[in-house]
Amino acid sequence: MSTTLSIFVVILLITLGITYWAAKRTKTTSEFYAADSQLTAAENGFALAGDWCSAAAFLGFTGLTALYGMDGAFYALGPLVAFCTVLFVIAEPLRNTGKYTLGDVIRSRMHTRTSLLATIAGTVVVNFAYLMPQMAGAGVLVKLLTGVPYDWAVIFVGIAMIVYVGFGGMLATTWVQIVKAVLMLAAGAIILVMILALVKGNPFTLFDNAEAKYGANYLLPGNYLKNPFDQISLGLGYVLGLAGLPHVMTRFYTVPDAKTARRSVVWVMFLAGAFFAGTTLFGLAASIYVGQDAIKAAGGGGNLTLPLLAQYLGGGKGTFGGDLMLGFVAAVAVATILAVVSALTLSTSGAIAHDFYANWLMKNKADPKREVLIARWAAIAIGLLAIALGILAQGVNVAVLVILAICVAASANFPVLILSLFWRRFNTGGVVGGMTVGLVSSVVLAMIGPAMRGADALWPLVNPTVVSLPLGFLGAYLGTILSGRDLENEKRFDDFSLQVHTGISRK
Amino acid sequence: MTRDTGTLEAAHASIRMLIAEKLKYLVPMTIIFMVGYIGLTILAGFAKGLMGIKVVGAFNLGFLLIAVNYVLSWVLAIVYVRVANNVFDPLAAKAAAEITSAGASR
Repeated sequence: MSTTLSIFVVILLITLGITYWAAKRTKTTSEFYAADSQLTAAENGFALAGDWCSAAAFLGFTGLTALYGMDGAFYALGPLVAFCTVLFVIAEPLRNTGKYTLGDVIRSRMHTRTSLLATIAGTVVVNFAYLMPQMAGAGVLVKLLTGVPYDWAVIFVGIAMIVYVGFGGMLATTWVQIVKAVLMLAAGAIILVMILALVKGNPFTLFDNAEAKYGANYLLPGNYLKNPFDQISLGLGYVLGLAGLPHVMTRFYTVPDAKTARRSVVWVMFLAGAFFAGTTLFGLAASIYVGQDAIKAAGGGGNLTLPLLAQYLGGGKGTFGGDLMLGFVAAVAVATILAVVSALTLSTSGAIAHDFYANWLMKNKADPKREVLIARWAAIAIGLLAIALGILAQGVNVAVLVILAICVAASANFPVLILSLFWRRFNTGGVVGGMTVGLVSSVVLAMIGPAMRGADALWPLVNPTVVSLPLGFLGAYLGTILSGRDLENEKRFDDFSLQVHTGISRK
Repeated sequence: MTRDTGTLEAAHASIRMLIAEKLKYLVPMTIIFMVGYIGLTILAGFAKGLMGIKVVGAFNLGFLLIAVNYVLSWVLAIVYVRVANNVFDPLAAKAAAEITSAGASR
């Protein structure tokens, strides 16, 4: 425990140093929201890898694989495949059409206040649905890893993210992500080398030993996701939903041009992809060397698998090496949570200060100095709200909220973004229709499903994306058709296309 | 003014050409990764027996297909960057030059 705390204090001091450095370079709106769009492809690639590997990925994938075999490997694969969608259709158009937020893209296409409002709703709902379980998870994890009580852990995480975002804006958030991504990849590489040394360089031995210990069924699909449609829903939610997460989209505004955005996606695909593939081997190794019984006994629904594996590899409980490895992995896990909640806070503060205050309320005539000030206060308010929600969520099943966040991103944000970029007739009615139908169907179906109601579920799927995503597209289509043609908007589409594909806008 | 509109129309035409080129490459590439990945989730849901066929020791077809999906994503990413650099970027640059001479601001 004390090793974890001391390693974590070192990481915390580094990130606070970064925040101090970043705060001096964060004055204008462009610096606050987008690090002045001056990041390199490698920097943004590492930061994206940080965004992509939340604690759910870092700890969760390993735990799922250790306890349920192949289904854990499915969870790990999805986020990598999702980047094909991001690379092919999202990253470069976002860089070319937006300034700081998703709202910018929709606004520059539609030129209407209603469409902006609908987009703000999509961003805020997804971010809070994602933020709340992260806070609750932080409370549980920090308590398990360090012994700090739940409420204090949540308050601590909330204050740290307020400091990073409020003072350091995007520059601090980015570098906190980069530090965390480097530490995470280093931890992964060390663990991988140690595992390979145990099996004499032959990873297939892990599969053989796992089967020998738990039987062939362990290596088959369906141990975790029992309903086949849940498998498909998970797949769709990943491939299209992760592309609709606002805090990930924001990352593409931090680079100078489309080419850099493209290269940063390739960076993250190799960095995060290799790590995700690693978690499958880590999970199998943990099931063999730590054992499922010990993992279940440790609590946290399998989330302590990776720290326990690290402890085993370092020499076991009570040894210096074991304590050091456990402490290192646990500290990186806490850093992971801090980095991801900061990114969510920053993205939400952009939706409030930039989209809502500056562009909606002040009709694009806000004083930039005042806008930055409001963005900073928004970050503080969001942080305080997140602390309150995190404390209230103690003991509540928050897993449904993670599903909900990705489901809304896939069913509301994704259809609206794609149709805005590529469909000439798409109009404000379509934006409102897509957002509303996607949002409502996701929320309702998740609430009446087994994740929330258990055996009393009115509908069989934990993850409703397979139904709500087509509904979101349908809502966008019907909204467009029913609200009549907007010929001005259709005429502008040529110019908008020009901007989508070249980054040049005609004013 | 007439010359400007001419250049603007040329730029719009170039963009339409670029979009057609993008579709030519991206539609098949998207179909490949969607069929590869969503197909895998369908197999996992409905063809458990197939996924359990042993390939190397206990390493079964399911894990092999997962590994193939990793490699496929990486290969597609590299292919995309090459195509974007060699095919899309020159077309975008052409449209950009036309629109800039038509007097647009960046």
